[in-house]
Amino acid sequence: MIARAASIDRWRRLFVIVGAILVAYALLAPITSLDAAQSANVPLLADRLWFRIATIIAMFVVMATAWNIIGGITGYAAFGNVAFFGIGAYTTGMLVAKAKWPFLVALPLAPVVAAAFAALVGLPLLRLRGHYFAVASLGVGVAVGELVQNIDYNGQPVFGGASGLFLPIFAIDNRGLFFFYLMVAVAAVAIAVTWRVLRSRFGYGLIAIRENEEAAAVLGVNTTAYKVAAFALAAALTGLAGGIFSQWNVFINQDNAFPIEYNVQMILMALLGGTGTVFGPAAGAVLLQLLIQFLGGSLPISVDIPFVSVDARPIVAQVILGVLLVVVVIFVPRGVIDFFGGSSRLSWSYLRQSLRETSL
Amino acid sequence: MADFVQLVILGLLAGGIYVAVGVGFGLVWGVLNIVNLSHGALVIIGGYITWQLFSALHIDPFLTLPVDAVALFVFGYLLQRGLINRIIRAPLLFTFLLTFGVNLVIVNILLLIFGSDFRSVTPSYSGQGIELGPIVIPYVSLFSLAVAIALSAALAFILNRTRIGLAINAIAADRDAAQLVGIDLRHAYAVTFGLGAACAGVAGGLIAMIQAITPTAGEPYTLQAFVVVILGGLGRVSATVVGGLAFGLVEAFGQSIPGSGSVFANAIAFGLMVLVLVTRPQGLLGRLR
Repeated sequence: MIARAASIDRWRRLFVIVGAILVAYALLAPITSLDAAQSANVPLLADRLWFRIATIIAMFVVMATAWNIIGGITGYAAFGNVAFFGIGAYTTGMLVAKAKWPFLVALPLAPVVAAAFAALVGLPLLRLRGHYFAVASLGVGVAVGELVQNIDYNGQPVFGGASGLFLPIFAIDNRGLFFFYLMVAVAAVAIAVTWRVLRSRFGYGLIAIRENEEAAAVLGVNTTAYKVAAFALAAALTGLAGGIFSQWNVFINQDNAFPIEYNVQMILMALLGGTGTVFGPAAGAVLLQLLIQFLGGSLPISVDIPFVSVDARPIVAQVILGVLLVVVVIFVPRGVIDFFGGSSRLSWSYLRQSLRETSL
Repeated sequence: MADFVQLVILGLLAGGIYVAVGVGFGLVWGVLNIVNLSHGALVIIGGYITWQLFSALHIDPFLTLPVDAVALFVFGYLLQRGLINRIIRAPLLFTFLLTFGVNLVIVNILLLIFGSDFRSVTPSYSGQGIELGPIVIPYVSLFSLAVAIALSAALAFILNRTRIGLAINAIAADRDAAQLVGIDLRHAYAVTFGLGAACAGVAGGLIAMIQAITPTAGEPYTLQAFVVVILGGLGRVSATVVGGLAFGLVEAFGQSIPGSGSVFANAIAFGLMVLVLVTRPQGLLGRLR
C-alpha cells in the first residue's frame, strides 16, 4: 500500500512538472512573434493561427471553470450558461459599437450585467431541482438569444438583429497577443476564484448544498443566498469571457454569442477534467478543445483520418467527438483528473467498476 | 373573427405535430427520468425513412408511418439496452451528455449519408385543403393531427391496458419495488425508450410532409418537446396532448403579434415554459410525484 502510494505520488509529481512546462511554453511561445523578438533572431514558435486557437482554449477554460462553481461545487446542473456569455458579449459589444465607449471601460460592465441577470433569474430558477433546473436554465439560454436577435424598436433592431453587431477594431499593437493574454488572465482569475471559494465558508456552504440541501439549511446555511451568489459568480466570469470575445472577434450575432453547443461543451470539459476540483475543468477544457481543433484539422500537427475525404472531415470529426462523449460519460464518470490527482489508476478494473456503479 | 378562427385552427393543427413530438419525449422523461437530447435526431431519422420510401418506392407517406415506428422502436430499444442503461444510476447530467453525444453521432452520420440538402415529401394532395368560406384546413395538417391523436391514444392504451405497460407504470412509481416483483428492468427500460423513439419516428414522418428536412433540423424539435412536456406536465399522455395543442396555439398567436412577425414565437414559448416551471412545476395538468 505504501509502495503504491509512493508510486502514485511520483506520477503526480511528474504530471505537475510536465503540465507546468506545457503551460509555460503555451504562455511564452507567443512572445516570440513580437517584432523585438523577431529582430533579435528568436525562432518563431507561434503564429497567428496558434493565437486564435490558444485564445479559444483560454475562453473555454474560463467557461468550464465558471460552470464548475454552480454545476460542480453547488451541484446545480446549469444548462444555459451560454446566456451569460452572450449577455457579456452584447453588453461590451453594445457599449463599444453603439455608445462608442472605449473597450477597456466597457469590459468591466460585462460581468456586472451578466451577474445581475443571473441573480434576477436565479432567484426563481434555483428553487427548482434536478432536471427541472437544467431545463429551465436551458430555456432561459435559448429565450435570451432569441430576444437579443429579435428585439426591435421603431422598426430598427436594438441589438443589431439578425445581421449581428460589428465593433470597431481595438487599436493596439500586437492585438492577437493582447487578447490572448487578456483571456489567459481571466482564466487565471477564474481558477483562483475557484481555489479561494473551495477554501472559504462560502465554498463549504455550497458543497453542503450539493450533498444535501435540507441538511445544509438546517445547519444554518442560507441556501437561497448561497445558490444565487454561486450562480452570479459563474455568470460574472462567463460574461467577462463573453465581453472579451466580442471585442476580439469584432463581430457578434446570435450564432456566435449564444451557441447552444457551448452549454454542452463546458459541462463536458468540467466532467472530463473532474467536477468540483480547482484545476479539473481547466484541464478538461484544454484537452477537449485541443481535440476538437485537432479533429477539425486546424492544428499545425494534423493527421489524415483514413478513408475520409477532405470535405467529409469536419462531419467525421463531429462523429468522433460524439463517440468520445459517450465513452467518457460511460467509462470515466469521475473525470481524468482522478488518474493524475492520485486517487485512482486507469485500469480495466477501474473501467469495470465505474460501469457497474452506474449500470441498471 | 375569421382570422381568429383561422389562427385557432392553424394553432391546433400545428399542435398536432408538437403532440407527436412530445409524447415520446414525455414518456421517456416521466418513466425513465431521462431527458433525451437525441429526441430531435430520432425524429429526423423517421423523416428520412419516410422520405426514402416516398421518393424511391412512391409509397404514400402516411403508409410509411408504421415503418418509421417499427424501425425507430428497434433502434431505440438497442440504444437504451446497449448504452443508456449503463448510466441509469449516474447523476442526471450524465444522461444529458450521453444523449447529446448520441445526437451528435446520429446527426453527422445522417449528414454523411444524405448530405445537407433539403428533402421534402410532397404527395399529390399536399397543398390542398378543405375550404370553409374564408377558412382553409390543409389535408396534410389535418391528417397529421388525427395521426398524432391516434398515436397518443395507442400509447395510452399500451401503458394502461397491456402487461408491459403496467410494468412501465410500475417502474415510474418505484423502480426498486418494480424489480422486487420480478420486472426485468433492463428489458422494460429498453421497451419504454423504444416506444418513445417510435413516437419520435412517426412525428418525423409527419414533419417531413409539412416542411423540408435536413439532418440538422432536429434540434428545434428537442427544444419544443421540452416546452410541450413542461406545459402539459409529466406523467400522463393526455397531459402531453394538452401541452402540445397549447404550444401550437401559443406559437400561432405569437406569430400573429403585429410588428414582431414570426420571430418572437420561440422566445414566447420558452418564456412561457420557464414561467410554468417556476409557478407550476407539475405542468398544467400534471401530478406532482
